[in-house]
Amino acid sequence: MKKLIEVRNLNIAYGGTAGWTNVVQGVSFEIARGEAFGLVGESGCGKSTVAYRLLGYGTINSLVQTGEVLFDGTDLLKLDAAALTRLRGKRIALVPQNPTTSLSPGMRVGAQIREMIATHKALPEDMAMETRIVELFALVGLPDVGHRYPHELSGGQQQRVTIAMAVACNPDLLVLDEPTTGLDVTTQRQIVQLLADLRVRIGMAMLYVTHDLALLAQIADRVGVMYAGQLVEVAPCEKLLSAPAHPYSRGLIASIPTIDGAARPGRGLRGVLRRDQISTGCKFEPRCDFATTACRTTPQTLEPVAEARAVACMRWREAVAPHFPVLVKRGEEKTAEAPARLLSVANLSLSYTRPGLFDRLLDRASPAVVRDIDLDLRTGEVLALVGESGSGKSTIARAISGRLPPGAGIIRLDGTALAPALKDRSVEELRQIQYIFQNPDASLNPRRRIRAILARPIDHFGIEVDEKALETVLDNVGLHAGYLDRFPEQLSGGERQRIAIARALLVNPKLLICDEILSALDVSVQARIVELLRALKEKHAVAMLFISHDLAVVQEFADRVAVLYHGELMQLADTATLLSKPLHPYTEMLLEAAPGLRKDHYVSRPPSAPNSMAAPGVGCPLAGRCPRQIGSLCADTRPPIQTTVNGFIRCHLTTGNLATGASPANRNDHPRQSRSVS
Amino acid sequence: MTSGTSTPSRRFNTDRWRATPGPFKVGAVILAAHALFAIIGAVWTPYGFAEMGAGLPLSGISWDHPMGLDQIGRDVFSRFMHGAHIVLLLSFAGTILGMVAGTALGLLSGYVGGWFDAVTQRVVEAMISIPFLALALVMIIAAGPALAGAPVLIVFVVGLVYAPRITRIARAAAMEIATREYVAVAELRGEGTWSIVFREILPNAANVLLVEFSLRLSYAPILIGALGFLGFGIRPPTPEWGLMISENRNLLIASPVTVFGPGLGLASLVIGFNLFTDGLSRMLGQRPVAGA
Repeated sequence: MKKLIEVRNLNIAYGGTAGWTNVVQGVSFEIARGEAFGLVGESGCGKSTVAYRLLGYGTINSLVQTGEVLFDGTDLLKLDAAALTRLRGKRIALVPQNPTTSLSPGMRVGAQIREMIATHKALPEDMAMETRIVELFALVGLPDVGHRYPHELSGGQQQRVTIAMAVACNPDLLVLDEPTTGLDVTTQRQIVQLLADLRVRIGMAMLYVTHDLALLAQIADRVGVMYAGQLVEVAPCEKLLSAPAHPYSRGLIASIPTIDGAARPGRGLRGVLRRDQISTGCKFEPRCDFATTACRTTPQTLEPVAEARAVACMRWREAVAPHFPVLVKRGEEKTAEAPARLLSVANLSLSYTRPGLFDRLLDRASPAVVRDIDLDLRTGEVLALVGESGSGKSTIARAISGRLPPGAGIIRLDGTALAPALKDRSVEELRQIQYIFQNPDASLNPRRRIRAILARPIDHFGIEVDEKALETVLDNVGLHAGYLDRFPEQLSGGERQRIAIARALLVNPKLLICDEILSALDVSVQARIVELLRALKEKHAVAMLFISHDLAVVQEFADRVAVLYHGELMQLADTATLLSKPLHPYTEMLLEAAPGLRKDHYVSRPPSAPNSMAAPGVGCPLAGRCPRQIGSLCADTRPPIQTTVNGFIRCHLTTGNLATGASPANRNDHPRQSRSVS
Repeated sequence: MTSGTSTPSRRFNTDRWRATPGPFKVGAVILAAHALFAIIGAVWTPYGFAEMGAGLPLSGISWDHPMGLDQIGRDVFSRFMHGAHIVLLLSFAGTILGMVAGTALGLLSGYVGGWFDAVTQRVVEAMISIPFLALALVMIIAAGPALAGAPVLIVFVVGLVYAPRITRIARAAAMEIATREYVAVAELRGEGTWSIVFREILPNAANVLLVEFSLRLSYAPILIGALGFLGFGIRPPTPEWGLMISENRNLLIASPVTVFGPGLGLASLVIGFNLFTDGLSRMLGQRPVAGA
């Protein structure tokens, strides 16, 4: 195959007068025409820096020291700004990470695409501009939304618009910088599916930068694994996933949670990438399980080891082991049902606007964000609350913690009803419920030392502790006493989240509310936090309400799962039952969308009645999106709650019908579209 | 801004000084010179600051009288030296008072919100809408003749003129910080309002407030000078610089140097403060809020 772009020995440094830090070192790879190349690695490994260099971008404080980026024979690094501008967009296009910030909010999306085509004079000869734009929208699976503003579109639609913009000039190379990171799992899969589809149709090459190997498995032909600015392994995608050669790739793959719960040999990564601790030899040496003293001093370079495969490790032969995901379900460690019911939520409804005077006079209720939630949580149990963004997961957590007084319903802790507002709750109640936030950067006061951050809850609740308490708790979360005198900014994201967990544990809570606590972290760090939480659960018998959008993480350690959609509970079931026999159509959609580590030829099922949407609070919220909708019944009447073995399902279809996959009405009217994904 | 790194070596300090922005260095040097001059002036002057007949009135510059002599034969340089610490002390005291009151009110108002915020902000807006000199004069007149010219009154006036402006800045900072999750964590712990304001919000608003403080400090000598010039400042014969300009303004043609001295002193002090603030805000990554 002919090479489209070739990166040779690229070195990029960041810095300024104070000195230069090598961010990218000796990176070489090439992408053939029409090939999809994935670049994967933890945050800070330099993958985005490389990707943006391919577009000819560099920041003010970055400096390309050596190297060439040959695009069709011309070196992009030597081109001047005008030549680059002609090239960018037309032949190399970017799909950015965050469509919300990349689309101009004050401009209609059609005009933004028109701008792109006009700038590069890329309108096909015999076509009107408007026709071309509509055609592009159709290409990315959108109706003609050209007259809309970005805020009128959902995140997934916005990303489709940026993709339409990127392919508007039929580029040869598409650079994608984490294009689906901010999106829901179902939307994410649709976008990936769209990209694969576009690739076949337009025949462009892709550089897909991501931290998510599972996603890459669905789309990339070859994958380059980056660590600390170096490529440590380049291999065909399936080869890499089935038999990773470099110890880092191995660890990275082992860290990824998957829905199937496959117990993988090998363990996740330890430590984090710290550029100040890098040895002169192999950069991965401080974190490597196979490291020898020779590794510390011998720099490793990418050596070809097999057909289309290269590894930068001299001990890869020892490190590599035949590696097949073995489907071993984790032992069903179901003990006798613990009798103590810790938290019970009954009939909870929440809304963000309080009814005003007029509304009260006219007896109007403000629109509820969350409706009729019934949950209970036993001592020492982990209940996962799963749903897409905007489904009301965090809203429920806010109500339980007292930050949002509910519109209706009762929350009981240990049998006593909790006051709706935070200020009416007793100190003891406040102590028993601890909340861990999503973003550890924001939940620790940046101006206080860790010691003060940890000591404050102890003082506040007047808990009797010995002076070793802080050390002990840090030890419990895998840190040491040396952290006490640091400031949060001196810690990595994972360490900060451990501090947040430690702070919550210090006061011996009965209930921990974990609000998406993993989503801001790297996959290897995630794996270790999950490990920690699992250990804490066994050791302290603390109950957890674990909020997540990621079913794969949830199956790692939740006892039961509650699936939430648009503020209503769709299903509640044991984790094992839910994953093996999802029953509810929405749960099925979620499970199918979660990417596995092998190409799974995902095809989203079209809704059976896309135009029959339910008004909020009437019918089933899933109506209009559900692949198994029964005509207008779903949109008009609230689905009944059906009790199952260990939970419930809210659906019009009976559990028997759900299990067999049969739908009583017009199932054959909508043949499944199958678009090939390859 | 002592963040963790506390290696107490001389080399570290000089490195740090070298890394500071240019305006900061210049401003710091000017301010240091002013401080030194003020300290010397407080303990020693060539002649007494109120000593009449130190020489021939209006005799112009000489080595003995570098700033000449005024109408009644007082040595202007001695008065200038003695006045330096008065200007500095009044500026600092007034600004600190305004800062304490404005910060406390602003942070509370921004964090608590609701009707408390609404009432506070309407009062603050009313005060800001009055030109600051008019407000100051009204307050001095309202204080009555017994207090006229007393340093305490000047400090209060400066504080009261500044407090509303600082309140706005502090409120804006508090409103932004109140949305951070560590504040939510403290709320979930059931911490009181004061505890949240002073433990969680104040330390994080410190950068903004520090810049605001030094900006206000740079305007204070002007305000005090203006009051002195109008005759509402410190009671004569205490040589406050604004007062000196006012006293000698009739001599602008006969002996201009008697006005230039205090004028240059005020100008260099304000410029020094301004440069210092500019550099400080660059170092802390804050933009100074102009105007207000």
